Parts: sequence; C-alpha cells; structure tokens
Amino acid sequence: MTATSAAALPASTEAAPAARRWAAPLWVGALLIILTFLVIYPLLMLFFGAISDSNPVIDGFGKFNPSLTHFIAVLGNENVRLAFFNALVACGGGTILAVVIGLAFSWIVVRTNTPFKGFIAGASMIPLFVPPLVAGVAWSILGSPKTGLLNTALKWSGIDFRFDFYSMSGLILVFGFYYAPYVYMFTASALRNMDPSLEEASEVAGASAFTTLFTVTFPLIAPAILAGSLLSFVVMLGIYGVPAALGAPANISVLTTYIFKLTAWAPPLYNTAAAVAILLMMVTAILVWAQQRVLSGRSFATVAGKAFRPRSLNLGPWRWLTFSLALVYLFVVVVLPTIALVIAAFRRFLFFKDFDAVFDMKAYSWVHFNSIFDNPLTMISIWNTMKVGVITAVVGGVLAFAIGYTINRTQVAGRKSIDLLSTIPVAIPGLVVGVAYLWAWIGLPGGLYGTIWILALAFVARFIPDTVKSLSTSFMQIHKELEEAAWICGRGLLSTIATIMVPLARPGIIASMTLLFVLAVRELGSSLFLYTSDTTVMAVLLLDYYEGGNIGKTAAFSLVQTVILGVLLGITTWLSRGSAESTARAG
Amino acid sequence: MSAALLIEDLVKKFGTGKAAVDGVSFDVPAGEIVVLLGPSGCGKTTTLRCVAGLEHPTGGRISIGGRVVSEPERGTLVSPRERDIGMVFQSYAVWPHMTVHQNVAYPLKYRRKNTSGSDNIETKVRDTLELVGLGEYAQRPVTSLSGGQMQRVALARSLVYRPQLLLLDEPLSNLDSKLRIRLRDELRRILKMTGMTGLYVTHDQSEAVVLGDRIGVMKDGKLLQMAPPGEIYNRPADSFVANFTGASNVLKGKVLERNGDQAVIDLGAAGRISAWTPQPLSPGDNARVALRAENIRLGERGPANSFTGRVVERRYQGMQTIYDVEFGGQKVEVLELGTAARHNDGEVALTLPPDTCWAYRDEGQATVD
Repeated sequence: MTATSAAALPASTEAAPAARRWAAPLWVGALLIILTFLVIYPLLMLFFGAISDSNPVIDGFGKFNPSLTHFIAVLGNENVRLAFFNALVACGGGTILAVVIGLAFSWIVVRTNTPFKGFIAGASMIPLFVPPLVAGVAWSILGSPKTGLLNTALKWSGIDFRFDFYSMSGLILVFGFYYAPYVYMFTASALRNMDPSLEEASEVAGASAFTTLFTVTFPLIAPAILAGSLLSFVVMLGIYGVPAALGAPANISVLTTYIFKLTAWAPPLYNTAAAVAILLMMVTAILVWAQQRVLSGRSFATVAGKAFRPRSLNLGPWRWLTFSLALVYLFVVVVLPTIALVIAAFRRFLFFKDFDAVFDMKAYSWVHFNSIFDNPLTMISIWNTMKVGVITAVVGGVLAFAIGYTINRTQVAGRKSIDLLSTIPVAIPGLVVGVAYLWAWIGLPGGLYGTIWILALAFVARFIPDTVKSLSTSFMQIHKELEEAAWICGRGLLSTIATIMVPLARPGIIASMTLLFVLAVRELGSSLFLYTSDTTVMAVLLLDYYEGGNIGKTAAFSLVQTVILGVLLGITTWLSRGSAESTARAG
Repeated sequence: MSAALLIEDLVKKFGTGKAAVDGVSFDVPAGEIVVLLGPSGCGKTTTLRCVAGLEHPTGGRISIGGRVVSEPERGTLVSPRERDIGMVFQSYAVWPHMTVHQNVAYPLKYRRKNTSGSDNIETKVRDTLELVGLGEYAQRPVTSLSGGQMQRVALARSLVYRPQLLLLDEPLSNLDSKLRIRLRDELRRILKMTGMTGLYVTHDQSEAVVLGDRIGVMKDGKLLQMAPPGEIYNRPADSFVANFTGASNVLKGKVLERNGDQAVIDLGAAGRISAWTPQPLSPGDNARVALRAENIRLGERGPANSFTGRVVERRYQGMQTIYDVEFGGQKVEVLELGTAARHNDGEVALTLPPDTCWAYRDEGQATVD
C-alpha cells in the first residue's frame, strides 16, 4: 500500500564492513565501464572518424586531424544526397504499403469473423523471421526483369506485362510486404484494447460500418498506427540485405548500401563511411525519439480499464474475401519466395524453355549444394556463426540480467545512467554499429579486430536494449515480496538471486538468450564491416555468393541458412515450452 | 526466544513529500501481539517494513530484544536477514518453484544458528507444518494449493526458525471472507501457542480486535491511540478512532459544562446530552458527539439522555434492522440485532446511554468513508 518500490538493498549492517559499503558503487562502476566499452567508446570513435580525415589503417591509431569541413563536405556530396533521397523514398513507400497491409490485417484478425483468424494471425508474423537478404534473394529470383520466374510465367501465359523488382518500386514492394508485421503488432493490440462502445456510438448516430471505420476506429488508433509506421520505417532504414539484393543491380544506392560501398573501395573511405553512418544514425535517433514520444504521450481514449470482448463484425459471405486476401498475402510473402528458392537451388540452370520444363526432373540435382559444401568457407562460416551466436547469447544474456536486475530491483545510485547507456543502441542501426566497431578496433594492434569476439560484442551492444527490456518484463512479473521473504529468511542478496530470481525468471532468461542467438545468427548489417576471411559468418557468405552472381549457389545457401534458422527456432520454442510447462506447474 | 520490540519516534519520508510515518513510538513486550490498524496510506505498512529493515527509516530508533537495529542518526542499520525476524507478506510470497516442504525448509538451511543437522530440519519442518495444519501437504508444489493454504505455508515458513519477532503485513486480505474469519481465529491460536511476539498490520477492525492484545490506530503517519481492543472500542481517544472503529453517528453541539471526563453538550433543538470525553473541553467549545448505531436503545426511556424521535426509514437486513431516527433536527442511525423488526415508522422513544456517547472537540474534520 505504501510505496513498496522504495525498498532498498539489504546491504548495510550495524557496523557495515568497508567491503560491503563499497559493493554497490563498485558494481555500478563495473557495469558503467562495460557499457562504456561496448557502446560509448565505439560511438566516440565513430564521431572522431566522421570529423577527421586520417585513415586508421594507414595512419595508425593515435593520429587524427579533427575538422568539421570534412563532415560538411560529405553531407554536401551529391552521391550521399542521392542515397539519402533513395532511402527516404524506398522506406517511405515501403512504410505506406506496410501500413495498408498491417492495418488491414489487424482489422481482419481482431474485428471481423473471417475464418481461421488464429492461423492468419500466426502466419502473418512469419515475415519477421525471414532474413532480409534471403527475402531479397528470393525476390530477385522471382522478379528479375529478364530471367525472373514470374516473368517467365507471364511469357508462357502470353501476357505482355513484365515485373522488374530491380527497381525502386521493387524495393518498396518487398519492404512493404516484409515489414507490415511491425505495423500489425501495434495496431492489432490497439484495436483489441479499444472500447467497442465508441464504435457502437458512431453506428447508433447513423454512420455506416465503413464510415465508422474511417471516422472513429482508425483515428482513435492513430497513435498506434504512427508508432508502428515509425518503427517499420526505422527498421527499413537500417536494412542492408534487401537493397543490396534488389537495388544494387539497378544502381540504386540507399544509405546502408552506400556506406558499405565506401568501405569496399580501394582505398576504403572509412572517414566518409563514418560521416554517412552518423547521418543515418541521426535520422534513426530522431525517428526513434518521435516514436517513443508517440507511445508515451498516447492519449488512447480507447483504453478503458475494464475487460471487454472486442467487437467482431459479421462480414457474411464477404468473410471469404478477407480470408482469401490473407491467403494471397501469405502466398506472396512466404510460399512464392520459398518455391523460388527451392527451384533455384535444385535446378542446374535457371532457364525454362516451356512450362513443362518445370517438371523435368532431370534438370534438378544437388549440384549447388555439393558445390557450396565443397567450399571450405561454408563450414567455417557455419561454425563461426554458431560460435558467435553462443558467445552473444551468453555474454549478452548475463549482461542483460545484471543490468535488468540493477535497474529494476535495486535502489543503487547510478542505475539511471546504466538504464540510459543500455538504451542508446536502440537508435543505432546495425550497420552503424558495424562501422563504429570498425573504427573502434581496426587501428588497435592486437585488439579485437579479426576475431569473432568483435562480432559477438558488436551484436551484444546492438541487441542489449531489447534483451534488457524483455528480461525486465519477466522481472516485473516476479513480486518484490518473493525476494523480500528470502532476505527475511536470512539469505543475502546474491543467494536470493540464485535461489529465487533465477529459477523464477528462467523462462524469460531462456527466451531472451535464444532470441539473442537467433538475432546474432541472422545479423548482416554489422557483420559486414567486422568479418575477416577467418571469421566470416553465414549472412556474409550468403551475400558473397549472391554478389558472385551464381543464383543456384545463393539459393542453396539461403535454404541452408533458412533450415538452420528454422531448426534453431524449433529448438527455441521447444525449450521455452518446456520451461513454460514447468512454470505452469510451478506458477 | 521471543523478544520485545521498541519503536521510538520513528520517522520515514519518501522523497521530499510529507512523512509517511511521522514520529511513531510504541513498544511490544515479549509474547504480545500488537495490531496496527488504519486506513490505507496511514503509514502502518511502512512502519512494519521499517521494523523488517526493508525500508530505511529517516529518523528515530527501532530495537528488537534490546538490540538497536535501526537508528539513522547514528548510521545504524541492520540488514533484514540479520534481524532474526519472521515476516508474512500480503501476497503470501511463497516461492512458486518450490514444494511446500522446500519453502518451509528454506530459512532453516541457511541460518547460522539452529543448524544442528538435517534431521533437525526435517523435524522442525514437519512440526511446523502440523502446527499450521498442512502436515499432509509437504511434498505438494505450492502452486497446487489454495490461497488459504498458501498463506499457511507462508506462516509456517516464518515460524519454523522461531524468530524473535513475527511481522504480519495484512496476511489475510487476499482471502475470501469466510476463510479470512477461520484463518484469523486460527492465527491467534497458533501465535499464542508459539508465544511469538507479533506485529500485525491490517485495515480490518474485526481482525484487529480478535488478534491484537493491543491495537494501535494510525492516521496520516501518526499513532493516535494504542490500547487493548476493549478500550479502543469503548474509550476511543480521538474522534477519528471513534469513527474508524464504527461510531458513525455524529451529533454536533456546544459544550455547556465539563466535570472531569464528563461533559454536557447542548444539541440545540434536541436538548442536552451528557457524554464521556477524553479531551479537556471548555464551555462554549464546538463539540461533536460520536456514538455507535448499536449502542442506541430504541423504545426505551433510560434515566439520562432520553429523547423522543421519529423513525423516518427502516432497513430490514435479516439478522439486524437499521433505523434512521430523527430527533430535534439531529439524525442518527440505530441498529438492532434480531430477526424481528420491532419498530414501525413514526414516533419512538430512544436512549443514548451517556457512557457510550463520546464528545470530542469539533475540528471540522471529515469522517472516514
């Protein structure tokens, strides 16, 4: 009843020994140092890089000539402007499409009697698990202007229309298709929490169901729509895989691909890359800030404190239309690309003389798989990916637990700074993390650069905000009194954590760590700048295959990567279900 | 084993606002149970948590068994686990990942004293579970238990190591009303059987009366009265205490004269009334006279404080009947036990026994809803 949150660490005693009195500040200090090392130092190096013109590889670590003129020159550069403009158009268009799809889906799932809603709801989240590069590769197989499978099919049908996904509209379509779930997540929950009487009032007042939708429902969930679209815009802005696969053949650079291009030139333009990365980060930070504002200042008149059943509109026979719309979406986003990848991976040549050739079994073989596994790099990359994944999951999980516990469960001075530092990476696209880590370590001899640790640490830094957030959620579900009871029973802080907090938070810890693992396995943006030939990972190697131009090998390796990810996700669900069952039993 | 608790001038401030606990002093002799009673936000739980060491007091001193455990002025602050206390939480706080036995054995396993082997632990756990009536449930996971059983586990866990002081933070408030009454009576029996010193916090008067050897009524961080239940109910020191414990009738008037703890109050048109008062009222003061609905006698003309009124409304409630009675511009509620409603609307005689009328200075304070 009276502020229980103000409880304090039971750390001090009658004559508190010096060791105990210093424990809290030492602990906070250690966390701050780790976060500084992971987040602040690379960012500072990135800033120095952006405003200097000395090359860390050539000039070594110590020397740089700070000057703003360099940064300003980069901003004035025509190519940078073009990449910036392209990024805005691609992500803007993609966001609009994502909003249309996401909003339609959330309405169909939450507010109508469309059949198999549960299946639609679950399946519409699948695109979230598709690595962007795999999606890009699949759509280049489907929609490349000359050899694309879709265009081949059109030719047979005698239709004079041809798709061209190597274009801005192709980018926009693929972005919109695959990032609609971000909008869906926000709008679906807003619709679910909306008091149906608000809509009923409108219909009683004489508006049709359609009018109500656009004059009451959508305006009321406007904050959710805005938050969802800002998030999907930010995510698209940081994606490398899709524009690399679809934009590059048509010479369309967005910020991410342009940054990578800068570092791939000889000599690499690290300073320019840093400056453009800063630009990308600033745009992202502003949008993330705006999104947080929208979310925190939400004046959802819709959330009434009481429970109610969301109103479900009886569509009559039209419900089969909404159902087939959902099926079409799933077909376009999941089935079609999978078919394309399978055909490309197993067919010797991606050329069809006529429709019957599709079923000519002689044209199919394991040749592409054999050739990728003949390449020693393939196994190296898989092994490296697993190592990086495990390191990221363990280091990130432990660090996030320490941070989450300190922020949520203690009153130690300095926890606000820990919270702040661990949230900063939210506003940093993966690619920028990669450039920052490159700047932080490339000039340091004997440092992290060239080891798989630099990849793992970059991933930890990149994903720490999400991990801390999800762990904090599971901490919040554990009543404070469960811990206090253990203190009263004579346990110290650490043994209380070991015997009470860890067992109770176990499902959340397992889920967070497996999520970290999966995210690390599919991360491309930051890996691009940090791998060497010994430390290459699957995502990077896939890009190599694609840029090498062999569609068969690319498709085969995409499938390998997808199967590995699928198996991992399967293990994850199985693990977390196992632990969910044991908690269902235990609480 | 049991030890006395002494709280002197305890102050606890959260942030910069007004004090949540504002100069509270009382003691609990060994083996006694003291209940802190008050509305939510009165500071009773904060007081308890300061005793537990879960909150750090801003000022004052807390001693358990003669040992100072909190004295911020001198930088003394013993951690909860070194205070040798037991605590039962409002949310039960039984650990869902352990069985009943594991929950109860937990405190024994890691205490420095009492660890004379695992047989000893087994015996103690079994005895304590028997004591709270859960002897057969030892191997069950706690989550398979009902709310009442979970609270018994929590109680067993806090008793099993025989702490010198037991703290109970609204332990029954999450239970349904029937169970609450049963467990309340049983709690008293168990506590008395173990001879435990107890500090119990609740907002429920009936719990306070049954459980407490003494009750302390708190409001706005201050302790208003600390006395045995009979005294709280028959000699409330303060109009808030009177109102909070159920004296919901208030008659307003002016003091005519006072003689020791007896006062005569002029109620205007209704006439005069004599009342007991704990306060040094002077003639001319504005006064409020508080009295309980069940202490008014309807249809009787006693030797003093006898009036003629009118029943304006009658509410039959089965086991009891409540009448709204008006006399001389004053309005009171009268409660009569019994399944028969004896009085009809219209004129009626009523007596307000002087001993049950308590006069306080009218400071214009609002009543508790």
